[in-house]
Amino acid sequence: MARSELLHLYGETDGSSTSGTFSLSSPDFSGSVSYIRIPKGMKLKIWCKRISGEVATLIKIGFTRDVTVSSPTWVTIGTEYLASPGEIILEKRRPIVVEGITGKEAIAVTWSQGTAGKAYVELEVEVSE
Amino acid sequence: MAELVRENSFLTVYFPANNKALVFRVKSVYNKDYPVIDYGPLPISANTELPTFDGGSTTVPEDGVMPAMAYMDHGISFPLTGAFDETDMWYLPPEYRDRLFHIHMFIKPAWMRIEVDIPKDVMQYRFQRDKVVLGINKLWGYSRGYLEVVQLPGIHYGYRFGNDTNLNVYTKVKFVYGEYVVEIPHDPSLIFEILTRKIPSYWVTMPVTSLDPTIRVSLINTYGIDGFPVMPIDKRSEAIQVYENLLQSTKL
Repeated sequence: MARSELLHLYGETDGSSTSGTFSLSSPDFSGSVSYIRIPKGMKLKIWCKRISGEVATLIKIGFTRDVTVSSPTWVTIGTEYLASPGEIILEKRRPIVVEGITGKEAIAVTWSQGTAGKAYVELEVEVSE
Repeated sequence: MAELVRENSFLTVYFPANNKALVFRVKSVYNKDYPVIDYGPLPISANTELPTFDGGSTTVPEDGVMPAMAYMDHGISFPLTGAFDETDMWYLPPEYRDRLFHIHMFIKPAWMRIEVDIPKDVMQYRFQRDKVVLGINKLWGYSRGYLEVVQLPGIHYGYRFGNDTNLNVYTKVKFVYGEYVVEIPHDPSLIFEILTRKIPSYWVTMPVTSLDPTIRVSLINTYGIDGFPVMPIDKRSEAIQVYENLLQSTKL
């Protein structure tokens, strides 16, 4: 029986660095993580992105095939640009889909800014068979 | 999605290990109007040590939280105050032979690996006869998020769970179950027709590929027999003779 799970992920910049990796939290897990590892044989679908901030912010979604190595190779698979203070909400009928083939795949979300400031990201993610 | 057996229908519980099956007529469904149990978090306590998929170990950070990349090397039961065995709510003693639990278990998050050991701590999933033992910490040999099982009296089952993400996840268990009042039909022809699938019956194949002696002893204690051999359709008279003999030993 194929089943799936929706996760609401959220994170924020530290307000003092012009670049970094979001620490992602969720009501569905305790603590926060810098990446989401995809279970073997399952898919991760990014259905929705909400970005808001006080300054212009470039958001990138990175994907790696092996997060267990000491320096994973991250490939950018999605980019969004918040051009000025405010928010953008991107709900897609066609999600970004990445697959857990070995169980070592993962995604991470990074930011970069010209001037450091607070910015926030929310992702609606589905993990399904 | 979670199908239960209706009154006056048949339920067949098949054991691959010995090619035998128990056939029941569901006389009534005791919990017809309340089949759902929102059990709550998995019954795992904070600070319990669990092995991890990468060969290490970790501890449960909070009650009910399954740690990142961890699995259970021993099956757990579901406690319930006031139950016959308060450590295992699904356990029934052999004297409750007229009762059967048909259980659909849903676990959140849905990617959680599940395996059932029958009896507890006897791993049942195999490949190429007994060449490769499978299970929750192996390449395969588990399901994700959902499990269907029939709980037979006199046997403790063990449920093992695994979480192959890097998240310490809050867990939630939901059961959809039927508490059936059952009897074994006493007409050998009827049993033959059911086991050759000429008469409809809800068929549950138990994950029992290795017949631990405990199972056989419990079945005989409970029902007087360990099942009816499943025979081919062209062996009708032979099968009916075998079933007739077995029916003389049944306790139900």
